[in-house]
Amino acid sequence: MKPPAFAYERPQSLHEALEILAREGAEARPLAGGQSLIPMLALRLARPTLLVDLGEIAGLDELSLDDGTLVAGAMVRQRRLERDPLVAHHLPLLAAATRLVGHPAIRNRGTLGGSLAHADPSAEYPAVALALEAELVIRGPGGERSVPAREFFLGPFTTALADGELLTAVRFPLPSAATGWGIAEVARRHGDFALAGAVTLVERAADGTCARAAIALFGVATRPVRATAAEQALVGQPLTAETFHEAAVRATEAIDEPLSDVHGSAVYRKQIVPVVVRRALEAAAQRVQAT
Amino acid sequence: MERVPITVTVNGRRISAVVEPRMTLADFLREELGLTGTKLGCEHGVCGSCTVLWDGAAVRSCLVLAAQADGATITTIEGLATDGTLHPVQEAFWEAHALQCGFCTPGMVLTAVALLAENPNPSEEEIREALSGNLCRCTGYQNIVRAVQLAARHERADT
Amino acid sequence: MSLQILPRGKWVGARVKRVEDPRFLTGEARYLADLQIPGTVHAAFVRSPYGHARIRRIDTSAARALPGVLAVFTAEDVATLPPLASGLPIEGLKPTPQTVLAKDKVRFVGEAVAVVVAENRYIAEDAAELVAVDYEPLPAVTDAERAMAPDAPLLHEDLGTNVVYQKVITLGDVDGAFAQADRIFRRRFHTNRFVAAPMETRGCLSVYERSSGHLTFYSSTQMPHMLRLFLSLFLGIPEHKVRVISPEVGGGFGQKMTIYPEEVVIAYLGKVLGRPVKWVEDRRENLAAATHAKEQIIELEAAVRNDGKVLGLKARLIGDGGAYSFNTASALIEPLAAAGIIPGVYDIQAYQHEVIAVCTNKAPVGAFRAVGWTAAQTARELFFDEIARELGLDPAEFRRRNVITSDQFPYTTITGMVYDSGSYQESLERALELVGYEELRRRQAELRQQGRYLGIGISLYVEPTAWGSEIALQAGFPFPSHDNATVTIDPTGKVRVAVSVHSHGQGHETTLAQVAAEILGVSIDDVIVEHGDTDRAPWGMGTYASRSAVIGGGMVALAAQEVREKVLRVASRLLEVAPEDLEIQEGNVFVRGAPDRSLSLFQVAFAAYLDGRVRAEGEEPLLSATKFYDPRATYSNGCIVTVCEVDGETGTVHLDKIVAVEDCGTMLNPMIVEGQVMGAIAQGIGGALFEAMVYDENGQLLTDTFVTYALPTATEVPELIIEHLETPSPVTIGGIKGIGEGGLLATPASVAGAVLDAIWPAGRAIEQLPLTPERVLRALGGELGV
Repeated sequence: MKPPAFAYERPQSLHEALEILAREGAEARPLAGGQSLIPMLALRLARPTLLVDLGEIAGLDELSLDDGTLVAGAMVRQRRLERDPLVAHHLPLLAAATRLVGHPAIRNRGTLGGSLAHADPSAEYPAVALALEAELVIRGPGGERSVPAREFFLGPFTTALADGELLTAVRFPLPSAATGWGIAEVARRHGDFALAGAVTLVERAADGTCARAAIALFGVATRPVRATAAEQALVGQPLTAETFHEAAVRATEAIDEPLSDVHGSAVYRKQIVPVVVRRALEAAAQRVQAT
Repeated sequence: MERVPITVTVNGRRISAVVEPRMTLADFLREELGLTGTKLGCEHGVCGSCTVLWDGAAVRSCLVLAAQADGATITTIEGLATDGTLHPVQEAFWEAHALQCGFCTPGMVLTAVALLAENPNPSEEEIREALSGNLCRCTGYQNIVRAVQLAARHERADT
Repeated sequence: MSLQILPRGKWVGARVKRVEDPRFLTGEARYLADLQIPGTVHAAFVRSPYGHARIRRIDTSAARALPGVLAVFTAEDVATLPPLASGLPIEGLKPTPQTVLAKDKVRFVGEAVAVVVAENRYIAEDAAELVAVDYEPLPAVTDAERAMAPDAPLLHEDLGTNVVYQKVITLGDVDGAFAQADRIFRRRFHTNRFVAAPMETRGCLSVYERSSGHLTFYSSTQMPHMLRLFLSLFLGIPEHKVRVISPEVGGGFGQKMTIYPEEVVIAYLGKVLGRPVKWVEDRRENLAAATHAKEQIIELEAAVRNDGKVLGLKARLIGDGGAYSFNTASALIEPLAAAGIIPGVYDIQAYQHEVIAVCTNKAPVGAFRAVGWTAAQTARELFFDEIARELGLDPAEFRRRNVITSDQFPYTTITGMVYDSGSYQESLERALELVGYEELRRRQAELRQQGRYLGIGISLYVEPTAWGSEIALQAGFPFPSHDNATVTIDPTGKVRVAVSVHSHGQGHETTLAQVAAEILGVSIDDVIVEHGDTDRAPWGMGTYASRSAVIGGGMVALAAQEVREKVLRVASRLLEVAPEDLEIQEGNVFVRGAPDRSLSLFQVAFAAYLDGRVRAEGEEPLLSATKFYDPRATYSNGCIVTVCEVDGETGTVHLDKIVAVEDCGTMLNPMIVEGQVMGAIAQGIGGALFEAMVYDENGQLLTDTFVTYALPTATEVPELIIEHLETPSPVTIGGIKGIGEGGLLATPASVAGAVLDAIWPAGRAIEQLPLTPERVLRALGGELGV
């Protein structure tokens, strides 16, 4: 199980990387952490002519706080997101989601940007980005553009990234102090991709009702989706078990093309969506109560 | 395809080589350097048998290209014992009967070394979680968990 | 022959750390893939992407043209090699010869169609992709029952059927039992197809010396001498010019106890190409093309009295043998083994079984730890749980009312197995006690009130071990089965033990050294155990079926005993006392009662070899003996109890703990026994909850990676509590029984039983393992599981 032949370049700057990509065209692939790409090469499911290793480009692995936004470079390693005090303090949801990604050895190499650009519909990060309404910063031959998460994920392993473009950073707006978060998933084994998962954010209004809610589902559809009907069912309602139950049931409305594989059929995945949504909502509510 | 020059420090030895871009780090270690202690159990990043330490962190050498390792410091299972003395984790694996066929052992040992380096006093749950990316088909894992606990106790006693 | 010759003392029965471990811990151990011989070229197989197809044409020109490629072979190029076939002498079993590379037709995804040899594996894989095979897809059949239908697509047209064996056997008064019964119960189970998945895949390396005609064949095999025999026959190389070396082997579990077509091909390539040829199987090949295991459809019927006594059983066992009735032991390997053990530990006096073996468009089925018995145990134990509940009996009480008790040994089962000894009821009671059974049942009822699903599963088992000729016959597989050991004391007093049983994780270098050390009165540091090289070890069958402790231990004991007697005869001449008055301890031979009158083993051995004066008339200088052992049948037993909780909303199963009480008679090394038990339990968890080879209706394999085929990891295996009972076998040397398989034999039933117990009565609907969250939730009937 050996990769097919390809060329390899390791540019030192973003500019150089973009030049190489522009020159090589559609058959070139950026190489970030490689934890999804290299197995695909070994299985010969991907056949790029050139890999552009982003590992030495300065500035892509920075993590900073910018006016209520956590800005994470695309090449920030997952292991860092799991343990960095900045993330733990300002965006613990991201750290918690990271712990559900694969295993430590994978997270030591895997990157935030790599996971997002790979756009596995069962992965955690895309759903986190979607729930937080993150902005994905993209650089291409024409300069920089920013794409909201809801427009970034187009389908299984398909994103708004055009050939020759690179994802360089992600801007995560920090939730308000009155917002609680939750993440829940069902996987066959620890570290496996989810059969169904939900990321939730619940903002409490002064009167104790739900002011705003975000519910992003993963592992159930061809891309991460927001359960808008369920979100609407929450707004203005008290944060009670009954509310969550009613909202959770509506979460399946968001699933147009359900996923199905040997680990779980579409029927099953759809069936447990309300469960993971409710559990993630309960977790969010607990956290908002605690603040 | 144009070959790539790399310089990598493996088990304390600085090595310069020229590699084919598609060669994995695992194959580089095994085939080019003869360090066959690093095992290949699946070659698609699931079994963990090929785990090595990369700048001290556990990494799957089948999921990295040798070309990417330019400038890295790698420790393989061959680099763990010093002057014929087993590393405390190796010693504990022996003591606790944490291996049978031995094929997953190098990856397990190195994963445990990396865990204890950052968490010298892990709970059983933390140990199991840290090992959950490494498959073993012989032991049922329990003795491996015990070995890591034993190594943690020994290392604490020594410091 | 004295059966008491295995004393328990300093070494036998002790928790001796394994002597082989340091080389594994330091990475020095060399497995097949690690062997580097100058000039080696690398092979990759071209494998069928279809479950069933006719091969119209193969174009190898592009592959041959690729730089670095030495050769591409197809069936035409290996036409001189005979096909592989099952050699099991059973009447009515139809052979399904398999050419070593597929000819005319492919019958399963992954079947080897061609082989490429290149300078390295990367290029070999590139070239394999360039081999253009023109296939005409044929309708596939992947379900054993559908394969039995008259209009099913035929795998082997010349047979006119996919059914390679079918026979009904009636034992005892079955009609009477069913007529007398108060209740008749029926149940159908479809046990899952899962695989050994050793961490090291298969592989081999063929080194042929043209000048001498010698073939040295390295293979990751469990049975070097059997492989040598077959390679000699297949390749036409005289056996004395074939040497098989099995280096370190990274687990086998039965998957490596066969002669694979790939091995024959690689051996042949080494011979014809004149370069060492190496093939290291990759994981996808291993999952697709190495033998699969354990899939059966089992229908059971029980005649039961209202008090719970089972009067009679009927079983229909359909073994899904895959594409070929494989050479290991044919497509009967699963259903025939299962049929014999269906009565298990229970006193059943009437039994009828129908054994059916069927070919389907899936990988061939072979051995995997507890062949046949896993499926039989799973079906029977789950069935008995249900009968108990239907009768209003506790499952433990139901077992008490049917189990064979210790005063019944030796007990001959209705299928002809002679259980020599055991502790069936005792292991049940002890396991229940350890798990806190009564308290758990109370807790279960409480939690049910809260809508939570706690479950307890009991699996009470007997394990046929010591696979010699007698037990093979009792289990339905009539072929001879014995092994041999040579024990030698060299002139300096060091001990060399060469054995035909093979170690691929079992720790023979320790346990067999313990036996030799105990008998010869030396430290195990002075003993070395050699295995795996046909030039260094005496002939024998190899390692499988939990036979190495009993047979290996026994044959080493016999040979060591004979060498000990030689040593004492030499020493008696040197010390001028009768041999009966001599003792050996810690490497010294001394006069009993006068320890100062002693000689070191070095002195005695040195004299034996080099001082002709001490040699008695007819005595030989070599302190060496070769002994075989073909033991009587002996049966281990035990009880595995699982406690789990099922998430009623998602169907996921959380295992709380597993208690295993096992009895393998005399233990050579309890530490190693526990290792065997725990490892087998983890595999059983895999079989119960995670592992399944899944094919779609076209014969496409959906589980050919470790992403889709899920093995349990450290987070899925709960606390395992192991306790030993020790009932020595009265029929084997030293009272040893085997231990390798019980864990996998009994755990799927225990774990699945716990899950079904948790969700009872919803579990009635479950027919198939593994118990994925989806199956469990579907059984629970959850609509939207909020």
